[in-house]
Amino acid sequence: MNAFRRFPWLFILPSLVGFLAFNAGPILLSLWISFTHWDVFQPLSLENLIGNWAGLDNYRRMLEDPVLKKAFFNTLYYVVVAVPLEIVIALAVALGLNRNFPGVRIVRTLYLLPTVTSVVAVGLLWRWVLNPYVGPVNLFLRWLGSKIEALFQFLHLPVPATVHWLATQGPGWLQDAAWAMPGIIIASVWAGLGFRMLIFLAGLQNIDPTYYEAAELDGANNWQKFWHVTLPLLSPTVFLNTLLALIGGFQVFGLIYVMTGGGPLDATNVLLFYLYQKAFGEFPPDMGYASAIAWLLFVILFGLTVIQWQLRKRWVLEEA
Amino acid sequence: MKRKTTFWDVLVIGLLLLGGLSMLVPFFWMISTSLKEPGSLFDLPIQLWPKKLHWENYQQVLTIVPFGRWYLNSLIIATGLTFLNLTSGAMAGYAFARFRWRGRDVMFLLSLITLMIPAHVLIIPLFVIMSRLGWIDTYYALILPGLFDAFAIFLMRQHFIQMPKELEEAALIDGAGPWQIYWKIALPLAAPALATLGTFTFLAGWNSFLWPLVATNSIEMRPLTVGLAVFNTNFSTEWTLLMAGLSLATIPPILVFLLAQRWFIRGLTLGSLKG
Repeated sequence: MNAFRRFPWLFILPSLVGFLAFNAGPILLSLWISFTHWDVFQPLSLENLIGNWAGLDNYRRMLEDPVLKKAFFNTLYYVVVAVPLEIVIALAVALGLNRNFPGVRIVRTLYLLPTVTSVVAVGLLWRWVLNPYVGPVNLFLRWLGSKIEALFQFLHLPVPATVHWLATQGPGWLQDAAWAMPGIIIASVWAGLGFRMLIFLAGLQNIDPTYYEAAELDGANNWQKFWHVTLPLLSPTVFLNTLLALIGGFQVFGLIYVMTGGGPLDATNVLLFYLYQKAFGEFPPDMGYASAIAWLLFVILFGLTVIQWQLRKRWVLEEA
Repeated sequence: MKRKTTFWDVLVIGLLLLGGLSMLVPFFWMISTSLKEPGSLFDLPIQLWPKKLHWENYQQVLTIVPFGRWYLNSLIIATGLTFLNLTSGAMAGYAFARFRWRGRDVMFLLSLITLMIPAHVLIIPLFVIMSRLGWIDTYYALILPGLFDAFAIFLMRQHFIQMPKELEEAALIDGAGPWQIYWKIALPLAAPALATLGTFTFLAGWNSFLWPLVATNSIEMRPLTVGLAVFNTNFSTEWTLLMAGLSLATIPPILVFLLAQRWFIRGLTLGSLKG
């Protein structure tokens, strides 16, 4: 199509402008700012950017910053617990929903409701649901605890301290440094479950039913069918879902902002929240250091993606 | 193939239902709290559902917070982003799919690379640029970054590549120019892809938080997400009001979702390709 040799620039122009102004430009600027002590109150000029050159200062500072270290391990804690939990539960729900029974669509819809609720709304909601005194979670736990306690008393056994604690008090959730992160993880799993499940369902529906028929002919039971047919054939979906959940997990922000503001005592301060604090939540803003944190986070995410792709070769079975 | 319902089936369905209902508990609690008498929340025993419904909580929340304006802002931002994204993404995708031009492959590679740069890297420099332009706290700052989206370009390119060329070639022979062919033939044929991509982009725009949080500072310019978050900080102990506000913010989107579930699900599954 010769005529199609002309005019591509007209088609490309809007994207090109956007790319240069709001993507490539900012990426380079961010990299540059991370090597300076420049602050926002100075005009954005070449002189100021060069004049405030800091070399590797911001990056070196990261090594000695105890809060950053804490934020890093908090992020890791969040990711390591929330991601597997979300993936396993979502897979279980998807397996359950991947069958026909009356009302299956309604049940699926129930799981999807949090997905259309914004992260901010989810955080606000769970801040109240996890209220240690009058929230439904602790109401339930106290009820459960009192039943167990009654059981112990009925059997004339000494009541363990944990049971008594559960019956009368329960976790302090967001107000307690030890329980704040678990609280956030519960909210995030509740919110993210539906989306992960949807992806699993799409993957499950792509599996050719003849595999199951063949397995049944060979006398495989449900568990064997799951372990030897479903899981291997679903492995690309599991891979994709895990990768997305990891990438999202390292960038957790909204829930933290709304539910705990990083507290108590930095117990839920994560990398992206710390970056936000440094750049926009403190006075004076420290754009250089915050940009360096942004690049640290980028390196983590990039490394993760590379590792995942390497692993993929080993444990993902792809259909020819 | 018909098989008997086993004990196992009943157990699985029972567990699924239990899980599904527990997804509803927080929403139930939100509505219940929003209708309770202010100041009665910590009275024991805790009521699951108030005896007298205090609808005036809703009236009150509407007088302190400009919910209508926040909804409008979210709508403007999400619609604007979707429009920009689809327009520029489809055009670029078409150019990558159908034209042969110098630098095409390099440009395509560059845009793929940006897919690997997470959005948080852009927050600080975009804030700096928008401040210099005087666009902080305007719709420009909130919408214009949607002008370039590698994901949209990539997706539309795939779609156009898979589309048969014959119709477009016939139009070319009839003397139509590329511009005409694009608008009159290629774009209408891409309608399903555009609709799915549009749903996805709209949802992402509606739920975006970090950038609008950074790029707005007046109450009037905030989208719903940022408005709620700041409302949460300012009224952090007035739970009846907070929950009334939260109900106003979450129930309408849920209703829209229930009505257009099919599109939502397509848009959401599309999201799985991003990353």
